Amino acid sequence: MKVTVKHWHAVAQWRWDTGAAEPEGPDAENEDVCGICRVPYEGCCPSCKMPGDDCPLIWGECTHVFHMHCLLKWIGTPASKQQCPMDRRTWVTAERKVATA
Amino acid sequence: MDARLRRVNKEIADCKNDKTSNIRIDLVDSSPFHLKGSFPGPEDTPYQGGHFEVDIVIPDSYPFQPVKMKFLTKVYHPNVSSASGAICLDILKDAWSPVLTLKSTLISLQSLLCSPEPNDPQDAEVAKHYTTSKRSFEETAVYWTKTYATPPAGAADTRDEVAIAGLEAAHVDQFEQLGFPRAKVIDVLRRLNYRGANVAQITDDRIVEELLK
Repeated sequence: MKVTVKHWHAVAQWRWDTGAAEPEGPDAENEDVCGICRVPYEGCCPSCKMPGDDCPLIWGECTHVFHMHCLLKWIGTPASKQQCPMDRRTWVTAERKVATA
Repeated sequence: MDARLRRVNKEIADCKNDKTSNIRIDLVDSSPFHLKGSFPGPEDTPYQGGHFEVDIVIPDSYPFQPVKMKFLTKVYHPNVSSASGAICLDILKDAWSPVLTLKSTLISLQSLLCSPEPNDPQDAEVAKHYTTSKRSFEETAVYWTKTYATPPAGAADTRDEVAIAGLEAAHVDQFEQLGFPRAKVIDVLRRLNYRGANVAQITDDRIVEELLK
């Protein structure tokens, strides 16, 4: 049998490199959400319309990850006392080495 | 859709899907920002067997501001107002964090029932009762759980006002026999914390003086 490919769609998937393992199991949905807005990291924060580079993630030195816009909004409120929402340590944004191939 | 609404809807759905925590969240009316939470009283505490309901109001700037919660069910606990149900708990005030959820906050209330903090009271009279005689405090808390937190709560007529106030019937009878109205005696003895070792410290004259006021 001879097959001629006339047409094809390429499908790509992307994830932020959060350093976490590939989500698996029934809780997978919950583990990879921003703790502040509860939207997946790969989605965008509630003030943005498009996920991706315009709505990036932010990493703390404490290793906790949030949508950058969500975290900055929290840090901007006096109630935050400039602390990480997860561990209440003073928030310090981690320097991330972006691996460029 | 607004971020607050999306998050709250998600939280309500998550709580419905979680069959293990025993925490319930229900709508009160058509608004998703006014809710009713409920949970069973923790075991091996005076609240065991009770069903506790909590009024939940989601503020405009949630989750950047703490959720407002107060007990709808009457609770006898040093950190809960026996009159209004107002709760003294750090995460509902300055220790709030946006990663806390309705469910995790209700679980914190449940554990507050396990571990009273009489040094940071919401209800000073109850806290005094707790520190004066823990045994007597626990009896009263058990009575409140039976009276107010146990469905079906149809026993309104048989409520024992002396037990609700955490007092002993013999003490109330003693002053009632002097001719004072029972309700007044209960009120005065409760305010004076007439329990445990305090009974020997407070003279009858002092009580009569209060009763005559």
